[in-house]
Amino acid sequence: MVLAELVQYVATGLLVGGVYALMSIGLALIFGVMRVVNFAQGDFMMLGMYLTYFYAMSGIDPLLGAILTIPPFFVLGWLVHRGLLARVTGGGDPQRQMDAQLILTLGLSLVITNATTMILTPTPRGIRTAYATQAFALGPVLLNQARSYAFAMALVLAAAVYVFLTRTDAGRALRAAADDPEAASYQGIDVRAMHGLAFGVGIALVAAAGGLLATYYPIEPSVAGNFIVLMFVAVVLGGLGSIPGAFVGGLVIGLVQSLTLLVLPFQLQNTGVFIVFLLVLYLRPQGLFGRRARTV
Amino acid sequence: MSLRTRPLVGLALLLLLVVIPPAPAPAADDVKIALVAPLSGRWARQGQLKKMGAEMAIEEINAQGGIKALGGAKLVLREADAGDSVEKAVSAAQRVLTRDKIAAGIGSWLSSFTLGVTEVAERLQVPWLTLSYADSITERGFKYTFQTSPVSSLQAEQALELVTELAKKNNRPIKKAAIVGDNTAATVFFFKPLREKLLAAKGIELVVDEVWTPPLADATAIAQKLRATQPDIVFYGATNFPDSIQVLQKVKEFGVKSPIQGVGAWLVTPEYVKTLGKEMLDSIQTVVATHPMKGQEEFVKKFTQRTGEPFMTQDPLCTYGHVWLIKEAIEQAKSADPKAIRDALAKIDLTSGPAASSFYPNRIKFDERGRRIGATPLIVQWQGGEPFTVVPAAVATRPVVWHK
Repeated sequence: MVLAELVQYVATGLLVGGVYALMSIGLALIFGVMRVVNFAQGDFMMLGMYLTYFYAMSGIDPLLGAILTIPPFFVLGWLVHRGLLARVTGGGDPQRQMDAQLILTLGLSLVITNATTMILTPTPRGIRTAYATQAFALGPVLLNQARSYAFAMALVLAAAVYVFLTRTDAGRALRAAADDPEAASYQGIDVRAMHGLAFGVGIALVAAAGGLLATYYPIEPSVAGNFIVLMFVAVVLGGLGSIPGAFVGGLVIGLVQSLTLLVLPFQLQNTGVFIVFLLVLYLRPQGLFGRRARTV
Repeated sequence: MSLRTRPLVGLALLLLLVVIPPAPAPAADDVKIALVAPLSGRWARQGQLKKMGAEMAIEEINAQGGIKALGGAKLVLREADAGDSVEKAVSAAQRVLTRDKIAAGIGSWLSSFTLGVTEVAERLQVPWLTLSYADSITERGFKYTFQTSPVSSLQAEQALELVTELAKKNNRPIKKAAIVGDNTAATVFFFKPLREKLLAAKGIELVVDEVWTPPLADATAIAQKLRATQPDIVFYGATNFPDSIQVLQKVKEFGVKSPIQGVGAWLVTPEYVKTLGKEMLDSIQTVVATHPMKGQEEFVKKFTQRTGEPFMTQDPLCTYGHVWLIKEAIEQAKSADPKAIRDALAKIDLTSGPAASSFYPNRIKFDERGRRIGATPLIVQWQGGEPFTVVPAAVATRPVVWHK
């Protein structure tokens, strides 16, 4: 019985962590390629949840809806880069650029949250799916169906990103632009276009993660606040800018949140996460998968 | 700018001034009341509901000729966003109370916020009405705070009394209980007496006691413990909507059949039906400070038509009552001076009118601590996708149904 309980905690942690992982790789990609800390990442996730909700209202299954958020959010990300971020990235005094980026993404986050509150009202919405309240039973261990589907799709999307980065020309160019923008531009790589691509993909991924989350989690304009800190912790834990690192970071957070409950009361659930975070930073300051040089 | 374009720009500006009328400035004798409630962040929905109630009351009062004692002065609402933290709530209160001459204030829904906001009101000597439940709100010797709701500990006592009686009547006496909820102030004060004395006094064993800080990452562990212990009742306080949805979904997933007794009106908002479906909600009940009662059908209809909400709950009803109560106090004080209004509120004894009928029992009189004398909670129960007042029977709109 004790073993079954432990397995249940591990399984729950991994399922929760899967979606954290997908949320975090978009953030890691953007940071890895552009060195931009995107505070608005959680707000794009929230918009992805709303789009999936509206898809669901028009009869599209939310799991499919989550995938369908990718094209529009890729375009949105690309446009945001083109219209706003391109003005504060790529050259100039690095400190001033960093300040401008922080202010820009933080401002963007406030504008998106408040505009959504104004337009869509603060009333929470939810997608009613049969699988949100059903579970696959593996003996005494229950795996929530919505979370299992979301986990599987998060794995598939993360694998797709990995293949894109390592096996395609565009992916290689993206990594080159991340590793050394100057050398990349000498090789004929349009670094600015690569930044646009990275931001578009990063936003599309977090929107898809939002879509998957919406299959079991209510949607409201302030929902980003519940996840943004965890996303940053996952990215730093995994090694700033590392995609596999962010993925593992997300899984670790889910797992630690769940296993913490075996030893600590509920109120201290996130304490476990931050203790692990501090330990990793202390023992391995570059993060689990990080290396000193910039990487994707 | 060239000499040729300058007059054109001037003309355009002039036209703008003519075309766009200036925002209507309140007349000199308008009486301003503040509503400090969460309008953004995770409790924004509750703030929105409060605002609906306040606006409805203000419109009614102004349409009926305003405040007669002040020559028909109109009431004006000044709202401030309490956001999602105590610090934000306090600074919102400070801002609204110092920027304008405010006669009285209302807020701020979450007891934790109210504790901070009432400190500001006390310091600035502005009378403050609140629906928050926490006992500590009126335990600090404040002169300007008035709490219309029965306090949390009283709600715990009455809720326990009621559920044990109902369970006994249905031949399923309560032997084991669970406490599940967040650590916001109202919930803490509801759980505390249950945990410390009330359950033990009735011989009920506390088998699960899980309290978290919002937001809740996942509710699996809670559902697991409930499944393992099968309590006869779950005392439930999850004020944050996503937390509550996660718990209720998990409870269903794990096949937990224990009856749920909530604390607070957050459990009876329309979005629960949309997110969980009415079947899942049936017979979940909660203890609230007020809810539409027998005889208020026409009034509720007016509210739903006005706002598009499917039904009315505590938050708009209470705030509606608060605005009317401020109006009555101003009439009695014959002044919009905050201190005079405070003195009038301390002496007021209303038994009829829109203010009194918003609360149960229909009498508004405060004791020296600022608590409404005789305030009694109502039990509201989900039935067929709508929450109805089921206890006390005298004002119930539906008979109570015990969990099957």
